[in-house]
Amino acid sequence: MNELVEKIGHCVERGKINKASPFPGNMKGQDGADELTRQALEAGMDAEAILQSCIAGMVRIGEKFGRNEVFVPEMLMAAKAMKAVTEHLKPFFQSGSVQAKGTLIIGTVAGDLHDIGKNLVSMFIEGNGWNVVDLGVDVKPEKFTDAIRKNPRCVVGLSALLTTTIASMSKTVREIKALFPEIKIIVGGAPLTMEIATGMGASGYARDPQGAVTWLTDIKETA
Amino acid sequence: MTDLQWDILQKVVGGGAVNPLPIGFIIDSPWLPNWYGVKILDYFSNDAVWLDANLKAVRDFPDVMFLPGFWSEFGMCTEPSAFGARGVFPADEFPFAHKIISSADDIDSLRVPNPATDGLLPFMLNRLRLARPRIEDAGHKIRFAVARGPLNIASYLMGSTEFLTAMMMQPEKAQTLLKTITSFLKDWLGLQRETFPSIDGIFMLDDIIGFLGEEEFRTFGLPCFKELFTTDVSIRFLHNDAPCRVSAPFLPEMNVNLFNMGFDISLAELKDLTRNQVALLGNIPPRDVLAGTDTAKIAGAAAELVKSLPDTSGIIFSCGGGMPPGVSSENMRVFIDAVRN
Ligand code: B12
Repeated sequence: MNELVEKIGHCVERGKINKASPFPGNMKGQDGADELTRQALEAGMDAEAILQSCIAGMVRIGEKFGRNEVFVPEMLMAAKAMKAVTEHLKPFFQSGSVQAKGTLIIGTVAGDLHDIGKNLVSMFIEGNGWNVVDLGVDVKPEKFTDAIRKNPRCVVGLSALLTTTIASMSKTVREIKALFPEIKIIVGGAPLTMEIATGMGASGYARDPQGAVTWLTDIKETA
Repeated sequence: MTDLQWDILQKVVGGGAVNPLPIGFIIDSPWLPNWYGVKILDYFSNDAVWLDANLKAVRDFPDVMFLPGFWSEFGMCTEPSAFGARGVFPADEFPFAHKIISSADDIDSLRVPNPATDGLLPFMLNRLRLARPRIEDAGHKIRFAVARGPLNIASYLMGSTEFLTAMMMQPEKAQTLLKTITSFLKDWLGLQRETFPSIDGIFMLDDIIGFLGEEEFRTFGLPCFKELFTTDVSIRFLHNDAPCRVSAPFLPEMNVNLFNMGFDISLAELKDLTRNQVALLGNIPPRDVLAGTDTAKIAGAAAELVKSLPDTSGIIFSCGGGMPPGVSSENMRVFIDAVRN
């Protein structure tokens, strides 16, 4: 792989967003994902290769996270660095020369404010090459259906951390399915099980971000 | 807590073994209203309902320590309300507060709230002041000054992702925010102590420290907690039911002497991590076991927990985290019997 392209993946892994960012301490003052991507594109490097290098960087940091070698803040920084890259790649997505794997609309359901798990899921999926629209916490069903209208080919992800908001999640699934019967919905969050997910009519359930990525890859392949 | 319970707690925190084995639970609005049979909003808005629910708990379970005991609170809106955050109170769901800081640049304009007058805090304190005679008639006393911890409050005010990102991108701003909150917390805990001279403990709840690596914890967590827990009260109690392997070794340095953890770490491992210097309150799984429908599973988990400890000194038997919604009296009795027998 080209050295510059590889460096971009390294910046994503380390969460080095741009030159001005003080994080990580030992890369202070160096060019980050932002500057290096601009340089790479100016030098005519392949946008798809840049994206793949970033995905590989996200996979590496994800593995470190799984081994408790890095923590949530480092994951957040990696996701931000990845965002800095995809900003530059936008024109290539639009022209079709680079393809996002799809769009995921994700949110924590109404009445629930827990979002640390949901944010990790959304980062992993974005890091895997999906376009993610994150609607935040306490998301009412109408907000999901509005977002689906704007992204008709999307997949939806719902998160709930309270046993009490499982009912709110069921309601959200029902309202989405009533308007968009074809839309696939994956649900997750610690109090859920496959049984509860199936019972509420969700299309899929995953315990963790890796499971969500596998499920998304499967539905894309069978689509 | 009664005088006897307070003595037992002090003994356990001093590292002593007590017989029968001590049992304690953190109880507040996620559990009490539903257990008492009232709507969450009624529990918050009617002081008599709040007091009766709390009195019923201590009367039905005289052999259980309820911590902090008669906790006057408004769920997750309590402290953020003093900073001006908009609280949302659905009739029978858990309240939460909206953020007030949309970018790290807003931090400089944040003022230290006055706990005597701001947000819901005067209501909290006054509810407790009015209830005090009845609490004392029932043989109990107000023992703890209580607050959510600084990182927890910071993440309400900014949003968890935004606060954790600010720590990495704009560390000075994150420090300024934590300084403002810590200064507020000192005033707030101080005011509670001034109002109720029977207070001899501080209880803080902060799950956000659970998501930091060691370097961030040392920089952003340790100093505030050290400052807040360095006081002359006898019980310095911390709750963090998110991951705690990074912060646990620092608990003695934070001046914490009683800790409630999440269920995903064993008490034996925690005794090790804290070099046996901190009493522990835990730790059967709250939602999946204690609140479940399988009482045999509760009895099994409780018996297993007792068996797993060659030395039960410094332990209060409980669940890993606060009492979750939906735990019935029967489930509690099964737990108590299994621990004691
Ligand atoms: C951190 C935390 C908080 C923080 C949340 C901060 C934030 N911004 O998210 C704070 C302190 C604010 C909080 C508040 C409350 N909390 Co809380 N909280 C927790 C805690 C300790 C950890 C949750 C967490 O973030 N875990 C880490 C992440 C990484 O894991 P995760 O969320 O499970 O997510 C993973 C998977 O589930 C999955 N996943 C998640 N979402 C999705 C979505 C999809 C699509 C997929 C595929 C997968 C997926 O992937 C994630 C990554 O691996 C848990 C206890 C515990 N140890 O689990 C209690 C817990 C969830 N809270 C609980 C309670 C009761 C509350 C409150 C009601 C308390 C109160 N007094 O008001 C309030 C909620 C108010 C409201 N209206 O929402 C209870 C719920 C009990 C129950 N029966 O439902 C718990 C279980 C604690 C307990 N005592 O049992 N809490």
